[in-house]
Amino acid sequence: MSRTDRDDTGLDAFFEAAGRYGAAPDAAFRARLLDDALAAQPAPTPTPDPTGRRQRPGWFAALGGWPALSGLATATVAGVWIGIAQPAAVGDLAFGGFGGDYDFSALIGGSYTLGLADG
Amino acid sequence: MDEVTDEALLVAYANGDPRAARALTDRLAPRVLAHAARLLGGDRAEAEDVAQEAMLRLWRIAPDWRQGEAKVTTWLYRVTANLCTDTLRKGGRQVRLDAVADPPDPAPGAVAGLTGAERAGALQTALMALPERQREAVVLRHIEGFANPEIAGIMDIGVEAVESLTARGKRRLAALLLPRKEELGLDDE
Repeated sequence: MSRTDRDDTGLDAFFEAAGRYGAAPDAAFRARLLDDALAAQPAPTPTPDPTGRRQRPGWFAALGGWPALSGLATATVAGVWIGIAQPAAVGDLAFGGFGGDYDFSALIGGSYTLGLADG
Repeated sequence: MDEVTDEALLVAYANGDPRAARALTDRLAPRVLAHAARLLGGDRAEAEDVAQEAMLRLWRIAPDWRQGEAKVTTWLYRVTANLCTDTLRKGGRQVRLDAVADPPDPAPGAVAGLTGAERAGALQTALMALPERQREAVVLRHIEGFANPEIAGIMDIGVEAVESLTARGKRRLAALLLPRKEELGLDDE
């Protein structure tokens, strides 16, 4: 905003004087304006983190934050690995435990056989 | 906050930032008060009432302010001018020749200060002899330093109409003031 169109009428000195002697707010008036401004101001709203990071949701903190989440992730990966990996060792264990040479009579026992014959 | 635009400050105000309220008050209130005083003829109390009401309307519109549609200053000067028109009409006066702004402390340089205050007072008296729209255009252009397109936005008229108003206003002011050059200490300039 610059003052242009000056001065073909000789009025410049008047305009400059008017600019210097304009009404200026005193402290009391400024205080009234600020009272109005603060009274009319809406309640504060959450503002973005000045560092640009997004705020974490509440459930994140409820779970225990990053330490808890890292433990959960480790357990998940371990579970997936167990499900996908070749279950050779597990198979050996199964056949060792439930193989064809397993004698069921050893589990049932002789007293059970006698009971059936009596009944 | 000097580098922050009025529009950004108004958004911050609407979001509840009290620093924005103070920054906007300090930035805009002096201009609004001075403008109101010039349009009203220098009556300090009336000018303060108008300026306070204009600022209050700004605070109230802040939550609904649509960025990019208008400048805050354009809106505020228009509201101020409308309030001044209402005040003048309510008081039943179009011209007030006796209400000249009291000069502030003339120091430094008592003679030069008084001369400047007298010039300002004489111009204010002459401005009040102009039709309202001429007065507003001349004040915006030659005292407040707005460019013609900005004045056109504030007054909601075309640029050519602004040029016409200011030209006619200046001719009338010259006719009123320049015969008093010697009295006002302008002979040597």
